[in-house]
Amino acid sequence: MRVILKTRPRAKPRIPIEAETIIPQNFLRKNDIRVYEGNKERKLEDLFFITVEGPAVSPDQVEVILTGDTGVIKRVGEYMNAGRIIVEGDIGMHCGNFMSAGEIIIRGNADSWLAREMRGGFIRCEGDAGHYCAAGYRGEKRGMRGGTVEVLGNAGDFAAEYLSGGEVHIHGSCGDLPGVEMRGGTLTIGGDCLRPCGNMTGGICRIFGTAHQFLPTFRKNGTEDVQYGGKHYRMAAFRGDIANRGKGRVLIRA
Amino acid sequence: MKVEDVVCPFCGCLCDDLVVEVDQNRVIGVENGCTLANEKFMGDRRLENPIRKEGRSWSDITYDAAIREAADILIDADRPLLYGWSGTHGEAQSVGVHLAELLGAVIDNTSTVCHGPSIMAIQEVGHPGCTLGQVKNRADVIVYWGANPIDAHPRHMSRYTTYADGFFVKEAFKERKVIVVDVRKTESSAVADEFIKVERGGDYAILSALRAIVRGKRDLIPPKIAGVTREQLFRVADICMQAKFGAIFFGLGLTMSPGKNKNVRNAIELTEELNRHTKFTISPMRGHWNVYGSNEVFTWITGYPYAVDFARGIAFYNPGETTSVDILRRGECDACLVVASDPGAHFPRACAEHLARIPTIQIDPHVNATTHLATLQIPVAVTGIDAEGTAYRMDGVPIRTRKLFDGTYPSDLEILSKIYARVKEAKGS
Amino acid sequence: MTGLWVKNAYVIDPISGIMGEIMDIAIRDGKIVEEVNDGAPVIDAGGCLTLPGGIDSHSHVCGTKVNFGRYMSPEDMRAGRTARKGVMHVTSGYSVPTTFGNSYRYSSMGYTTVLEGAMAPLEARHTHEEFTATPHQDMLANTLFDGNWSIMEAVRDKDVKRAAAVVAWTLAAVKGFAIKLTNPGGTEAWGWGEDVHSIHDEVPHFGVTPAEIIATMIQANELLNLPHSVHIHCNNLGVPGNYQTTLDTIGLAPDLNRERQSLYLTHVQFHSYGGSTWQDICSKSEEIARAVNARPQVAIDMGQIMFGRTTTMTADGPMEWKLYMLHRNKWSNHDVELETGSGIIPVYYGRKSLVNCVMWAIGLELALLTKNPWQCMLATDNPNGAPFVKYPEIIALLMSSRFRENERNVIDPRTEHFVPLFAIDRELDWYDIAVMTRAAQAKALGITRIGKGYLAPGAEADIAIYPLKPDELDPAVDYQQVMAGFAKTAYTIKRGRVVARDGEVVVEGANSTIWSRADVPPEYDLNQDAEFVKKFEQYYTVRMRNYPVQDVYLPRGLSIRTEASL
Repeated sequence: MRVILKTRPRAKPRIPIEAETIIPQNFLRKNDIRVYEGNKERKLEDLFFITVEGPAVSPDQVEVILTGDTGVIKRVGEYMNAGRIIVEGDIGMHCGNFMSAGEIIIRGNADSWLAREMRGGFIRCEGDAGHYCAAGYRGEKRGMRGGTVEVLGNAGDFAAEYLSGGEVHIHGSCGDLPGVEMRGGTLTIGGDCLRPCGNMTGGICRIFGTAHQFLPTFRKNGTEDVQYGGKHYRMAAFRGDIANRGKGRVLIRA
Repeated sequence: MKVEDVVCPFCGCLCDDLVVEVDQNRVIGVENGCTLANEKFMGDRRLENPIRKEGRSWSDITYDAAIREAADILIDADRPLLYGWSGTHGEAQSVGVHLAELLGAVIDNTSTVCHGPSIMAIQEVGHPGCTLGQVKNRADVIVYWGANPIDAHPRHMSRYTTYADGFFVKEAFKERKVIVVDVRKTESSAVADEFIKVERGGDYAILSALRAIVRGKRDLIPPKIAGVTREQLFRVADICMQAKFGAIFFGLGLTMSPGKNKNVRNAIELTEELNRHTKFTISPMRGHWNVYGSNEVFTWITGYPYAVDFARGIAFYNPGETTSVDILRRGECDACLVVASDPGAHFPRACAEHLARIPTIQIDPHVNATTHLATLQIPVAVTGIDAEGTAYRMDGVPIRTRKLFDGTYPSDLEILSKIYARVKEAKGS
Repeated sequence: MTGLWVKNAYVIDPISGIMGEIMDIAIRDGKIVEEVNDGAPVIDAGGCLTLPGGIDSHSHVCGTKVNFGRYMSPEDMRAGRTARKGVMHVTSGYSVPTTFGNSYRYSSMGYTTVLEGAMAPLEARHTHEEFTATPHQDMLANTLFDGNWSIMEAVRDKDVKRAAAVVAWTLAAVKGFAIKLTNPGGTEAWGWGEDVHSIHDEVPHFGVTPAEIIATMIQANELLNLPHSVHIHCNNLGVPGNYQTTLDTIGLAPDLNRERQSLYLTHVQFHSYGGSTWQDICSKSEEIARAVNARPQVAIDMGQIMFGRTTTMTADGPMEWKLYMLHRNKWSNHDVELETGSGIIPVYYGRKSLVNCVMWAIGLELALLTKNPWQCMLATDNPNGAPFVKYPEIIALLMSSRFRENERNVIDPRTEHFVPLFAIDRELDWYDIAVMTRAAQAKALGITRIGKGYLAPGAEADIAIYPLKPDELDPAVDYQQVMAGFAKTAYTIKRGRVVARDGEVVVEGANSTIWSRADVPPEYDLNQDAEFVKKFEQYYTVRMRNYPVQDVYLPRGLSIRTEASL
């Protein structure tokens, strides 16, 4: 089954839409799907032109395509556990929150908190991601725990904060403090970043660009050879963050 | 008439020992206050009555009409924002929160542009703090980090720290060491025993290094970090570890420099590390006199100290998303109620522009920068002068402000209660 | 106000000696009366269990530390959220719910009176503000004196009357209900990062010991004729081997009052540990229960822990630091000048943790081994041992040894080597539960005098009707139904008004705050005491005139007035 959701023009286009109901399993039977526009509950069809093509018997056969002015739609794919969502343009905050399985492809940019507290599945963002990509929620001790997030462009600040499991791969550069409080999993940064891995206690971070203002509280620990993008790299290895008795590993292109 | 033990409604110190002389409806003299207090009490020139903007000109309207219009604007909005609250008393803040839940609005206070990052840091690692008297009576080491109290909290040093004699510290000025950390020399750094001049954006690295030093990892520290020598960091760490009671106070220099909440978190974790050796506490230098009260009131009603979004009925909190500056910058909200603060003066330009685009209602005694963005302004009594109510000092101590005379203005509480009643009636609940 | 009939109720009212009778209850003007006219509305209880409104004699729900528990825990706030609905406000939070959350949840469990376990006098105004926002329960505040400088000076000078004067002044100023000692002496030592480790350790700089503080305060309490006794959180909370400290503390309690105990020990589970490390910690509930059974002058509450996530919060700052060193999650601390301290950390009690399993067993053992249910009240030190919404599960565990056996299979299998729980076959009955959840509390707090805790004419019409038919249920077998029944009343009646039905609150509340006011002779009035005034102005950071909680904070304040025997 393919569900195509095209946004309708709205009188107040900058009011965010909250649409945690847009997940493949909901299109299998449910025909009364509600979303919120600001503080007003709306029917899905009030905000989207909906086209449904073909049948499906299980959620993994459902593909949802979002198109139009989608950059202010929040929480798409929250708790998703099967199927696929394709966003033709940009997507709003919290795309893929708590996702446990399935696939989300974003052709444009993703706003902040992409893949927040993700448990499993796969997300690819072909543009840039905002702040707190693959991070956690305020006050929680664990961020993303499993699955894979791939960002082909750049990511904002605090990427993979509290990363506890799974893989995060930013092909471009990151902003300030990627991997801050990281405790497990793998973070790969293709480009540059600022102050990576502050206060990390576990996990591995690999940086193939320049790590600006690298913190003084990491201990040098020889070199390691790694493969990346089909090439060999010699990496300077560090352990830390010593400020926090940390046992994380940071590898920076030598 | 002289009123004693008056509470100053200016900064988070909430000094309660002012003596204010009143002549009928006017303050004519202030004793014990700092210059900021004097200005607050003496330079109080009010807007006379509610005003409404039509086109480019203002006209006077009645309180009843203003309340009706304010309620109608908020009821019509799909994403109303209720902002401010730090300059009014807790009872009014409480009605504000209930109004927000009724409307499905976002409610936020001025923490959003000051100590919001401190709150986020506390939510990550907690907050080892104490009341200010604990510092006055015990502390032998004081650290001001990214704060200039002589300028922003003029009596902090004389009432609570550097110059305040206490039970275990009989001659404070001689017995206390003062450390100041800042990116530039300030009046406060001039009185410090040790001044750490850090490069802008270097706080996080310095804090990480100090934590490592306190943990005994001195071998790891390079000769210089963010403009600070290793020797100075060792010296400062020794002073802290040898303290009997140390107290760190931090300001916007830490919360608003790169790293923001992570800077504060690092400072809290340094405090925690120092507690393995001695007694240490840390406290934010809260700015507005009752910003901490707004955090407290928001929290006991909604569970969150600021930036609470009721759009979905339940309370949702996520700074960066539900914070006023972010909502305004993205142009989300379609109506705004400003109470007891001046976003027109303190918010980024893009935010102010959005406030000017949408219906903005201001409840405030004075004409200020926000007035020029607003469509409606309702003047009220000033809490601590002609209205009274609860305020929370920067350390969480609640104090009831005094009403010095019966004025002619309604209080924030009265205006908000009337708006609430009208909204409640319209919503049929 | 019109009258109301509750008819066909299966009433257990231990204070009135009613042990399970089908009867009708008449209500008028918020009180229980002999009868009302026939036209009054009728609630048909249909033979369901009907008890006086529940009373929690030790819970943390309002005030500086509780609110900081919320403030620092957005993760807990999102764990329990409800939207505005009818008269109900928005609520958030699981282990530290918002004030309305606490109030609604207590109300739907039939609780109509709650004592906040720890109020720092300097921050009392905050507690009272939150009391007002907890509208469905009458509220009382234990007032902290554990590190009070004026008290310690009086103790050092062996001046019991001076200590009584300080208590009287403070309770009147802050509208407190009773004397609370939390780790007496320890919270002052914590001002220097230290603690006391036995009741005979000296408090740094003050030359007094916890034992002296406790003994003096018990005397002072009785000199003031306060309704409640001294309410103590013993030294060494949570330390393996601490049962000896607890026994020593119990040994300090004289029998001074004919109406009630002379010393109330709270959350005793946390104070009943044998062993010397976390590896060999074991239950000493038998020793503690033996001491309680032998001394009618003490009463205790369980301090039961239940498995799951919660938040610990106490005035015992040094204890929270120690606990933080074990859990390493996040830590808040807040010392209060001249008075006390406090700390907060989130914890998780796991069935896979042997230590947690031992703790879980100890609380139940205390309730089962204390012979007289009037001496052991049901509480979790909410939220320290567990959020109060777990009370129904605790009731079910106490009523069913089968339930306890089932639990035995899912906890750490080594537990049985460290605790006697599984050798105890006692099963509490409905009467025991009625005592342990309201009647004993009313008596221990001394609030039967204002009509709390019973259902005879003259009493406050605070009534809980549970959808449980004692005649048709065997709690030993049907423990799931018992649990469900105690979780949601069919009706909760507060002061004659139905406030909750089937788990939903149906009206806006209007509670009272109950406080104690002991009248002292003029020579003991500290407002006139130059030395006290001078020290106050010198060492506090708030002016003495700005310290007392104004009447406006207690819109429906109710003071219990006593005449001091000074």
